[in-house]
This record gives sequence, C-alpha cells and structure tokens, in this order.
Amino acid sequence: MLRAEGVSFGYEGGFSLQDATVAVSPGSLTGLLGPNGCGKTTLLRLLCGVLRPQNGRVLLGDRDIESMARRDLARHVAVVPQETHPAFDYSVLEMVLMGRHPHLGAFQLEGPADLEIARTALAATGTAHLAPRNYMTLSGGEKQRVIIASALAQATELLLLDEPTASLDLGYQLEIAALLARLNREQNVTMVLATHDLNLAASLCDRLVVMRDGRVLTHGATRDVLTGNMVRQLYDVDADVAFHPRAGHLTVVPVKRLP
Amino acid sequence: MAARAKELICAVLLVLCGAAAPGSRADARESVGGQRDQTAPQTRATRVVSLVPNVTEMLFAVGAGSQVVGVSSYDDFPPETKTLPRVGALLDPDTERIFSLRPNLVIVYGSQTELEGQFARAGIRVYPYRHAGVDNVLQTIRDVAQLTGHQTEGDRVVRDLRSQLDAIRARVRGRPRPKTMLVLGRDAGSLRGVYTSGGVGFLHELLDIAGGDDVFGDIKRESVQPSNETMIVRAPEVVIEMHSGESPPADVLRRERAVWNSLVSVPAVRNNRVYLLYGSYLMAAGPRLGRAAEALARVLHPEVYR
Amino acid sequence: MIRGRLISIVLGYGTLAAGACVLAPLVGSTHISLARAFDRSIPFADNVDAQIFFVARMPRVLTGAIVGSTLASAGVVMQALLGNPLATPFTLGVSTGAALGAVLAITFGSNLAISALASVPIASLAGAVVASVIVYALATRPGRPISTMVLLLAGVTLNAFFSALILFVQYAADFTQAYRTIRWLMGDLDVGGFQPIVAALPLVLVALGLFAFLPRSLNLLSVGADIASTRGVDVGRTQRLAFLSASLATAAAVSLAGPIGFVGIVVPHLVRLMVGVDHRIVLPASALFGAAFLIGCDLIARTVLAPVEVPVGVVTAMVGGPFFLWLLVRKS
Repeated sequence: MLRAEGVSFGYEGGFSLQDATVAVSPGSLTGLLGPNGCGKTTLLRLLCGVLRPQNGRVLLGDRDIESMARRDLARHVAVVPQETHPAFDYSVLEMVLMGRHPHLGAFQLEGPADLEIARTALAATGTAHLAPRNYMTLSGGEKQRVIIASALAQATELLLLDEPTASLDLGYQLEIAALLARLNREQNVTMVLATHDLNLAASLCDRLVVMRDGRVLTHGATRDVLTGNMVRQLYDVDADVAFHPRAGHLTVVPVKRLP
Repeated sequence: MAARAKELICAVLLVLCGAAAPGSRADARESVGGQRDQTAPQTRATRVVSLVPNVTEMLFAVGAGSQVVGVSSYDDFPPETKTLPRVGALLDPDTERIFSLRPNLVIVYGSQTELEGQFARAGIRVYPYRHAGVDNVLQTIRDVAQLTGHQTEGDRVVRDLRSQLDAIRARVRGRPRPKTMLVLGRDAGSLRGVYTSGGVGFLHELLDIAGGDDVFGDIKRESVQPSNETMIVRAPEVVIEMHSGESPPADVLRRERAVWNSLVSVPAVRNNRVYLLYGSYLMAAGPRLGRAAEALARVLHPEVYR
Repeated sequence: MIRGRLISIVLGYGTLAAGACVLAPLVGSTHISLARAFDRSIPFADNVDAQIFFVARMPRVLTGAIVGSTLASAGVVMQALLGNPLATPFTLGVSTGAALGAVLAITFGSNLAISALASVPIASLAGAVVASVIVYALATRPGRPISTMVLLLAGVTLNAFFSALILFVQYAADFTQAYRTIRWLMGDLDVGGFQPIVAALPLVLVALGLFAFLPRSLNLLSVGADIASTRGVDVGRTQRLAFLSASLATAAAVSLAGPIGFVGIVVPHLVRLMVGVDHRIVLPASALFGAAFLIGCDLIARTVLAPVEVPVGVVTAMVGGPFFLWLLVRKS
C-alpha cells in the first residue's frame, strides 16, 4: 500500500538516511525501530511527503506521492507528530476539526457531518470532555490524544506516528497503545510508527523495520525480528526477549550494557 | 536646492526653536553687550564665518561683505557668497573647516550651544543668532554691523528698513484688513501637509505690517499645521503661498493654484484671491524684509499700489 | 455552527464599521448640523456644514477606514505567517522601505508632481515594493517552504539597513525636508481630497481579495508547517501568498497615509479576545474593527486638543501602549 523504494535523504553534513526500502501492507501495524539518529523520523517524513527523497521514490499504491496534490495525499495519509505547538490558543475542537481540511472545498465551512466525525474521533481517544478547552492548557498525554483524534478525523486509511508515547506517563502509554491497536483492528487503519521504545514496538507492531545509522538493518514479522541478538546489535545491550503470557506479547527486559 | 533650503529655513526654525521666547532677544543683545565690554572698540571682526544665511545677507548689506570668509551650505544671496568656502549648517557644521579659516567671529544658531562652547574655548568670538520677530532682525543687523566695524552703515540699513516698513503701514492704513492665511509649505500637487504661519514670528509681523489679519493670529505659535477642516472653518479671505524658489513653469503654476479649488466654500478661493509668491527674498529674515512686506501688501491691497 | 457565528460576527462588526463611517464625519472640533449639511436648498459652495462634512471630513474618514482595515488584516496575516502574535505589518520591512522612498522623494525629488499623483506616495509605494522584493528574495528558495526564522531575520536586517539609510539621507537634508519627513513619518489621514483614495483603492482591493483565500490555511499553518503539510496545505504557496498580500496591503496603506503604528497589532489582539482565534472569523472581523478603530483614533486626534491636531499615529500609540502593558500584566 505504501512503499519506499531505495530512498535517501541528507542535509549538508551527509546522509541521514540511505537507500531505504520499506513496504507497508494494508492493515498492518509497522514499527520503525532504532536508536536516536537512526533515520526513522526522516523515513517517516519521507513516507508522508513532508520531505522529498534525493534518491528513490515513495509510492502510494502505484502512484508516486511526489506527483500527487497535497490535498489528495492528505486524504490517504495522516500524521501524528511528536510535538505540536500552535501559535494561537485554539480549542480542542478547533484542533480536531483541522483534520477535516483535505475534505473541504476552498471556501467550504465544516458541516454537521464534519462535526460528527470530529466528535467521534474525540470520543475514540477519550477526549470528548475536553472539546471546549484551550489546547495549550492540556497535559502532555491529553494533548497527544487530541492530536491523534485530529488525525483520525482526517479519515485516512494510513496513519503515521512519530514517537506517539514518548512524552506520556506509563498509564497513558498503555492507553494509547491499546487505542492504536483497537483502531488498527476495528477500523482497519494501517499504521506506521517510529519509536525507540522496544516494548511499545513489541506490544503493538506486527511488523518491524529495524534501523541504525541511517540504514535499514532488517525487517519482517516482529516475532522473527525482535530477538536478543537484534537488541545487542542495535543498542549494545544484553537483554532477554521472551513472550510474556499475561501481557500477551513479546517483552524486552534489558539486563546489562555490553562493553 | 539651496533656494528651497532657504525657502523655509525661517519657518522651520520656528518649529525647531519653538520655545524661542522674547527673552532670547535679550540674550543676543547681552552676549554682544558683554563682548562689547570685554573687548577694545578697535578689535572689529575681520574674518567672519557665518552659519546663518540671513545673517550673512545682513553682513553684506552693512558693507562687511569683504570680511566674510566662510558661509553655510545654504547661502546663495548675495551672489558673492556662492564663491565663498562652505562650512555646513545647523545639523552638520564643519568645525575643522571653520577653524581652518581662522575666523575671529563665528555666527552660529542659538541652539548650537556645543559649537559655541568649542569656539569660546578656542578664544574665538561667537554670535548666537536666535530667530524671532522684526525687531530682532533689526537688532541683529545692528549687532553684526557693530561687531564688524560698520556701525554707521548698520544704522543706516536699519533706518531704511524701518522707513520702508513705516511707508507700507501708512499706505495700507484705514484699508479693511482681510483675514489672511500665510502658507509656508504643503505637499506638491495636493492640499496635504499644509503649514502656515501662526500668531508669532517675523512673517506674522510682516503680514500685519502689510495690512492683513492673520487667520491664525490667535494661535501663539510660529507655525500651524491646519487640516482641511480647519481651513474651511477659518475661511480666510486671502491665501498667500510663499515660496523662496524660482517661479515654476506656467502649467505647474496653474496646477498648484488649482489644488485650492477643492475648498470651494473658502472666500479666498471663491473670490480668486489665492496668490502664489516666489522669490528668495520672501522669507529671508534680513535686509530684504521690506521687499517681502511690500510683496504681501501688493497682493493684499492692490488698489493702493496702482 | 461556524457559519452562523461567521455571519453574525461579520454583520456585527460591519455595522460598527459602517456606523463609524457615517457618524464620524458628524463629529469634530467644529459643530455641524446634519440637517444643514444635507440641505439641498443651500448651494454647495455656500454650505459650510456640507463643506466640512463632505470635503474635509469624509475623505479623512474613508482613508481611516481603508488604512485601518488593511493594516489590521495585514497584521493578522503577518502574525499567522510568522507564527508569532507579536508580529506587525511592519515587521518585515515594508514600512521602512516606504519610509525610505518617501524620504528620498522629499529630499531629492523635485516639486513637480507626476500626473495627478504627487511624487511622495509613488516613491513610498516603490520603496515598499523594493523592500518586499529584497526580503522575499533573501528568504525564499524555489519549490521549498519558507523558513519563518530566515524570513524574520531578513526582515529585521532590512529594517536596520534601510533605517540607517533614512538617517543618512536626513542628515544630508535641509530643515524643510527634515521637517516634512518627520511629518510624513507621523502618519496623516488628511490626504487632501478623494483622489489619493481612488488611486490607492485598486491595490487595497486586490490585497483584500487575496486575503480571502488564506484563513483556513493560516489556521493550519499556525499549528505547524509540517503538520499543515500533512493535512493537505501547500505550505510554500500559502506562505508566499500571505507574504505577497500582506506586503501589498501594507504598502498601499503606508503610501496613502504614512506609517501609522499599532493598528496592525492592537486590533488583531483585541479581536481575538472577542471572537476567538479562528482566522476565518478573525481576519474579516479585524478588517472591519480596524476600520472603526482608526476612524475612532482619528476622531480623538482631531478633537482632543482642538484647534491643534494630534497626529493620528500618536493616538494609536497612546491607545496601543497601555493596551500591551495590560496584556503583559494579564499574561503573567
């Protein structure tokens, strides 16, 4: 459904991502995993078209996304960035309604249908009660849930997330993870999430793309890819990777740093 | 540029030295008086640098022209000044150049106090000129005449000027005095940025001598910036624009005169008594005062000048 | 929901602006009677009340409406473009460019006017355009979004450079010219007739027309350039359109009436306090409120110290300064 073929991107210093090839199949929950600076955020930004690859291309279906109008692309791919800092005091409802932009004509105002979609999205993320509040006054977790709601309001089949639980408390981390799993399962939203949190990746993703130093090391089903060996390769850490019966998924327990 | 520069030097000085009070006339006299006491009568100033164009005119008028060694950037009258070295003006006096001319008298603006101090420390006599009314102009003529050893000529010039002004007064005595607006400047081609003489200052006094009633006579400031509304309300019977440059070509003159036509209710416009006067003598607060007053009188009371 | 709000707010502020346009010419340092002003039986040339109303005050009020609405809406757009509520229409150097043009025309221009338009408005318009082009060239790369940081730096640099040039030219000017420059810099709505208004109107209408395409995109842009992009906003095009239209509006306003400060920042803030932050409402509301605001300030300017007139820029500053102090205190 969404495919990156041999994409590279770099700034003045050098390449932050080289020759990455990734395929995202419909309905999957793919994790881009790796330490800071591995290029996962760059890859994510290339996948949603915010950055243009210097080599290679990104395809949505069989269309090169560079050839697509931004509005068109926005109807298929929504993004949840790591942080959002609006310059003005928008309300939560206003923030979520912004997700309706690609579906509205140039001078069209939101109608009852759009409002309904927005409210449903808020309900799905448990933030309906925050609708009239000023976004800037919310807690980190609440803000993140609102941004996810606005991405949901965009009604796309693909959702890309950049470190969605990075700034959240443990409780909210699990809640967001459960929310995303439910959305993927019940509404068939295909997701790609960039994270350095191994356990989040283990709990949520069915496929992993493992990256380091701007390159893709390996990719495949989580249960195949997520091994103690991989953790050592990525982080120089000796860890136990095992299926946890109560959690219902693989877990990673770091034991010690390797020299 | 020099002509336009002199155009409103006086009027603009009025704005800048707005606080110029009658007391300043006394100051000017005192500094001269003080110097008179300090110096021997024979030490007349033989090398004079003048930063003030109208005072330069006075120097030439009293016969001290050959003693002038440096003039301001804006001097252009009399023609002899054009070949003299230029030493800057109010904002940018070139002190080095002035010193290099080895003056024994420097005429500066009253507001250039630092400059005064510099010359005083160097032992050079300074005459600070402060702008005020007609009497101040006449006194200044006397002062500079005396400083340069041309007392008799100075007195004669002042006498002549006085009789000129008295003659004008006499001519227009008894004639009805029209409400007059003396316009000193405005934006070209429009009625924006109009500024006029107020109820204080030598232009106001000239108007009075010439038999006009200043429409802004009640405003005790040297210049006024009236809005269109104010001009309509004050309804002057005569409008006189004073320009110190040369008369422009006929079509420009017509256009500039025509901008007043939008104020149809103003009596001056309806009765076609809007006059545009051009000439460098018009706003020179110096020996050509009389000529300026006469120019005003001629447009205000043409019937007594047939 | 938003449609209802938009309509009622536009109607409300529109009434305010229209009311200001109609009532302001009635009030002034001289009392006039509306009945007399509209009395057709008195010949127009004899009807002083009519003269004051139509010839003296009406052009002023209309200029106030035009300049107030353009500066206020340009302020809104500039604040969204730069993602900063403290931005003004003058932040990116347009008004300094206009000032340089005006100073050059005053100091070196001859007294001859070019056709019906005097040289100072044309020169200030040219200066504003030059300044905008320079800032635009410095801050944009083809095909890529504008970095607001670079844009801001370019504007600040141009402001500093042109201000230095202005000082230099003033130093070389004589008293008259320096005085006229100062007067121009204070701003003046008494433009001396309807002609300058008619001349400025096309530019103003074009700018306001371009503004109409911006509001929703500005909402999204002000949340973040990247996230706006992922929601379908062509960020580069929106930024360029915002910069172009705001610069055009400011250039037209400043060349008509001089740089009148505070309107472009006080009005957007006041309006946001009243109607929220959705640009689809803030932009039209600011334009309408800005018109009423400047007309009101001019009213104060020409009546408070009658017969002396206070420059309107002084009044807007006196209103704006304390307002900002209050905002600051409120925030902390």
